[in-house]
Amino acid sequence: MAQVGGIVAQSRSGRTAAWLLLLPALAFLAVFFLIPLGQVLYFSVMDPKFTLHHYAAFFTDDFYWRVLFGTFRTAAIVTVFCLLLSYPLSYAIVRLGGGFATVMLLIVAMSFWTSFLVRTFAWMVILGNNGPLRGILSALGWTPAPELLFTRFSSTLAMVHLLIPFMVLALYSVMKKIDHNVVRAAISLGATPFEAFRRIFLPLSAPGIVNGCTLVFIMCLGFYVTPVLLGSPREQMIAGLIGTQIEEFLEFGEASATAVILLCVTMTVFAIYNRFVGLDKLWG
Amino acid sequence: MRIVVALALLSALFILGPLLIVVPMSFSTAKSFAFPPPDYWLGYYRAFFADIRWTQPVINSVLIAFATMLLTMALVIPAAFAMVRQRFFGRSAMNLLLMMPMIVPHIVMALGYYSYFSHLKIIHSPLGVVLAHTCLSVPVCYLIIAAALKGFDRNLERAAMNLGAGPLRTFWEVTFPVLRPGFLVGGLFAFIHSFDEAVVAIFISGQAASTLPRKMFDSIRIEADPIVSVVSTLLFAAVLLAVLSPLLWRAIRQTQMKAVPA
Repeated sequence: MAQVGGIVAQSRSGRTAAWLLLLPALAFLAVFFLIPLGQVLYFSVMDPKFTLHHYAAFFTDDFYWRVLFGTFRTAAIVTVFCLLLSYPLSYAIVRLGGGFATVMLLIVAMSFWTSFLVRTFAWMVILGNNGPLRGILSALGWTPAPELLFTRFSSTLAMVHLLIPFMVLALYSVMKKIDHNVVRAAISLGATPFEAFRRIFLPLSAPGIVNGCTLVFIMCLGFYVTPVLLGSPREQMIAGLIGTQIEEFLEFGEASATAVILLCVTMTVFAIYNRFVGLDKLWG
Repeated sequence: MRIVVALALLSALFILGPLLIVVPMSFSTAKSFAFPPPDYWLGYYRAFFADIRWTQPVINSVLIAFATMLLTMALVIPAAFAMVRQRFFGRSAMNLLLMMPMIVPHIVMALGYYSYFSHLKIIHSPLGVVLAHTCLSVPVCYLIIAAALKGFDRNLERAAMNLGAGPLRTFWEVTFPVLRPGFLVGGLFAFIHSFDEAVVAIFISGQAASTLPRKMFDSIRIEADPIVSVVSTLLFAAVLLAVLSPLLWRAIRQTQMKAVPA
């Protein structure tokens, strides 16, 4: 890596100054971030003496395995649908440009900046018992229309909607840097437009796909608000389970163990990403 | 390409449609979340502004977000200078620490704060929420301010020093004014991050320091209060205004330019 500001960076006084500047942030994060995080780790193995029974309780119970597996499955489904809905949109934005791109990016930005709670509430109305979607279904002759709210379907659908902007922005930021002349070159050499897309554009946009999928998958793994408000109470996701363990059962040991498991899963995904891509690329 | 555009428009409709539904809902006379509304009135707007159980969380949220913004900037700006301008032992560890609050799921931190702040006796207090939100806002604020700093041309500082300005004067008259927009954007992100943060606030803010997202969460979960649609519409209108204002500004400027005869 190139040395920025060469001479100053080498000097001892420069290093001392750097640590002085970092000290407030370091001390603050140590006291108000690392200690509470460390406490979660601590409580997961102490009760009041060292024990692993909170973890044993988690891994020997079918119910917890189902929650963990269900969380993975939901996160995977949400990621796939986000990608399927975002890719054509991002592609059209980059290819058409102009007014079309401005309007589309505005719509994405509007959704991006609107609070998760507002959007979750909107889905509550749409999927509700007196909502428009059930009305349409019964008007089409599906009577009685199925219950939509408080199912796995409702929370999955809402999470797709909530996380799409992240996927679009990840895809867009990579696609807009692709030089379209390479696609044109492929076509002029005899490739069909679809072949040129598949063999040239798609591989070049792969970093955006990887970034977007990693972001959406990780955000979905730890999602609390939407699954709790819209999802099925019998098919909780892991964050909702932690909430229940705290609020209803006051089981801090078990809640801590569950939290550590969620943390480990999240860290593993980040570690894999870091190994193959590099963590600094994720937030560009 | 026509198929791609059609798919893109469908996605856009899927993104936009649900956002718009909260607007007619807020003028509905229905006592529960029924759509389409049976009739329209302004009653729930009046109820919202008259009800301290709703206005207090709004005030709490604004004050907490403002304090979070100031505290985050006070921590992040000096740290970003050190991180961008110096190479030293422990730099990558420090980088990881600054980014970690973004990596750890919020529900994990909510659990940590719940027991830690109970122990410190600052649970259910605005102070606790500000301290927690500051940690969670550090990464996004740091990313923006560090990016602004990386783009800063240090020759400007060298020129000022060459012309006889001391380090402090150089900072206040050259470095700070150039970087001010980046600092403001970083601060704005910290503000919004705190204002929108729900998970930690749900667990640690309590009744006394209840933030708006917490109040909305409780209200949707427990009572299905139609006032939620009023709050949602107001929040959506604020976003709409913020997102569209640069465009409007440009349009006004252009008409003014055209109005001036060449």
